[in-house]
Amino acid sequence: MSMVYINIFLAFILSLMGMLVYRSHLMSSLLCLEGMMLSLFVMMSVTILNNHLTLASMMPIVLLVFAACEAALGLSLLVMVSNTYGTDHVQNLNLLQC
Amino acid sequence: MNMFASCMITALILLTLPIIMTSTKLYKDKLYPYYVKTATSYAFMISMIPAMMFIYSGQEMVISNWHWMTIQTMKLSMSFKLDYFSMIFVPVALFVTWSIMEFSMWYMHSDPYINRFFKYLLMFLITMMILVTANNMFQLFIGWEGVGIMSFLLIGWWYGRSDANTAALQAILYNRIGDVGFIMAMAWFLLHLNAWDLQQIFMSANDNLNLPLFGLLLAATGKSAQFGLHPWLPSAMEGPTPVSALLHSSTMVVAGVFLLIRFHPLMEQNPTIQTLTLCLGAVTTLFTAICALTQNDIKKIVAFSTSSQLGLMIVTIGINQPYLAFLHICTHAFFKAMLFMCSGSIIHSLNDEQDIRKMGGLFKALPFTTTSLIIGSLALTGMPFLTGFYSKDLIIETANTSNTNAWALLITLVATSMTAAYSTRILFFALLGQPRFTPIISINENNPYLINSIKRLLLGSVFAGYVISHSITPTTIPQMTMPHHLKMAALTVTILGFILALELNLTMQGLKFNHSSHYFKFSNLLGYYPTIMHRLAPKTSLSMSQKSASMLLDHIWLESVLPKSIAFFQMKSSTLVSNQKGLIKLYFFSFVITMALSLSILNYHV
Repeated sequence: MSMVYINIFLAFILSLMGMLVYRSHLMSSLLCLEGMMLSLFVMMSVTILNNHLTLASMMPIVLLVFAACEAALGLSLLVMVSNTYGTDHVQNLNLLQC
Repeated sequence: MNMFASCMITALILLTLPIIMTSTKLYKDKLYPYYVKTATSYAFMISMIPAMMFIYSGQEMVISNWHWMTIQTMKLSMSFKLDYFSMIFVPVALFVTWSIMEFSMWYMHSDPYINRFFKYLLMFLITMMILVTANNMFQLFIGWEGVGIMSFLLIGWWYGRSDANTAALQAILYNRIGDVGFIMAMAWFLLHLNAWDLQQIFMSANDNLNLPLFGLLLAATGKSAQFGLHPWLPSAMEGPTPVSALLHSSTMVVAGVFLLIRFHPLMEQNPTIQTLTLCLGAVTTLFTAICALTQNDIKKIVAFSTSSQLGLMIVTIGINQPYLAFLHICTHAFFKAMLFMCSGSIIHSLNDEQDIRKMGGLFKALPFTTTSLIIGSLALTGMPFLTGFYSKDLIIETANTSNTNAWALLITLVATSMTAAYSTRILFFALLGQPRFTPIISINENNPYLINSIKRLLLGSVFAGYVISHSITPTTIPQMTMPHHLKMAALTVTILGFILALELNLTMQGLKFNHSSHYFKFSNLLGYYPTIMHRLAPKTSLSMSQKSASMLLDHIWLESVLPKSIAFFQMKSSTLVSNQKGLIKLYFFSFVITMALSLSILNYHV
């Protein structure tokens, strides 16, 4: 595996760690989700371009569209939380506990 | 070639002159009411010439002078039909209007807009003249709508009062329902007979005419306040007394009856419509007579009396006697207008007091008004050889000797006795006994306008019946021979009504007031008809439309069916199924630990 792939793969792992391990703000998890999507996009584009998989060229675009949708969804949830509590601290998300 | 046509056209144009003068300085003059009254009196005198020519020689005429338009095969022109009905009605109406205008010069003296009032009265008179002299249905409709509009403007004369606005709107709405019938008749005549001219309709009508005649009956119900569309007439008493005297007693409300009389050649052939007319008129006359028995406002009692007499006219048409109905229209105009004018005199004298429970003892205080009130009431009830006798007694006799619906004839007799009863009530409460009002100094009747106008109508009430019925050309032969009890029936029930009412009033004078019985409440609240109809029908339609539009469509189909039901279901099931503690960070961290562990173990696995 060449250095480029390892680099981008490392970026992905880093973003994943960042999303799963966070302290208080929900926003940081969303940001790391975006980072994951970005690194996936780059890895996919480099692979397709290097191996001349022409028919798969549209897949990065599709990935981008879906990433935008999920970003919007995540942001709307964040806005709902922020409307209710004023901040986006994670310890507020405990309504469903029984 | 005589002056028939020119005199008639001159009379009609003379009436429009003060209206044309509105834009000049004359309209702002203090003497404008005098000019209007004089114009009306001159028009009356000029119209007497063709009337007397008609009486002498029976000459009738149709003046058709301006071709307006031709719509494919139908020709519309401005044509005046000067036959028996219009030739006699025009002088009568002009005479009564002349007296009412003179009366309103006294009554509305302190009104700042008196010029406008006279202009409205004159415009009403012109549209009424258009109505009675119309030869085609279109011109009749112009007059018909015109009197409706002027009625609206005049009822709502004191428009600062919300009751007056409501009454004016009520009049328009009820008349409109009748207009639907009129337009239906016009449409039927246009489709089937291709004509709106009366001559052509009468010549070419030979098949089933139920639908247009029913439409005309509906129009008469609306305009002449028959049962079903009657509440606007007592409410119309919100207008000034001259308006009540002119419109709602002698002139406008007879437009519906006049329409049916105009179409009598068609109605002669159709027994169904005749039965409908008879029953409708009988119900009206009885119902309004019952309502008149317990009213306390003097104008409302006279309004119900008008409605009852209109029912009597419709009954007369129903027994196929249009000429008698027309005679009753003409004689009724005199004494009913006079009754209203006397009420106006009393009201003004008592400083705008209209409740008969607060009048009394005016017998000595207002002698002339008392005289005319008594004579008017006697003429109304059909006292022999006064005006009302010549038409009303003939009607009752003809009804008694005809072989139609016995129930309708019976309740007409009952209504006749009630006429005497409520007339006695008016006289008893307003004129006799001790005064029940506070002492005031405004009781007087020494204004010549008041005296002269009532005096003219008084002479009319006494002599007009004799003069008219002995001058007109012979029409349908009245029934000459009948048994004694039928001949005396009208007189007997009238005297019975008088005596009964007088005895009851005298007996109840000193007794304690007890709570109203059911019959009293039925009569006083107009049979609950306005209470039910004015509230129930609009409330039903409005609530139905709100339920279907807002509740059904918006709330249920667009909101509740999918979105809110899904949200509700999800919430309930998630609280049911899950048992979380909401430790998100722990869950994410365990994900990291799991991945790290699995990757490291798999790394050492070959």
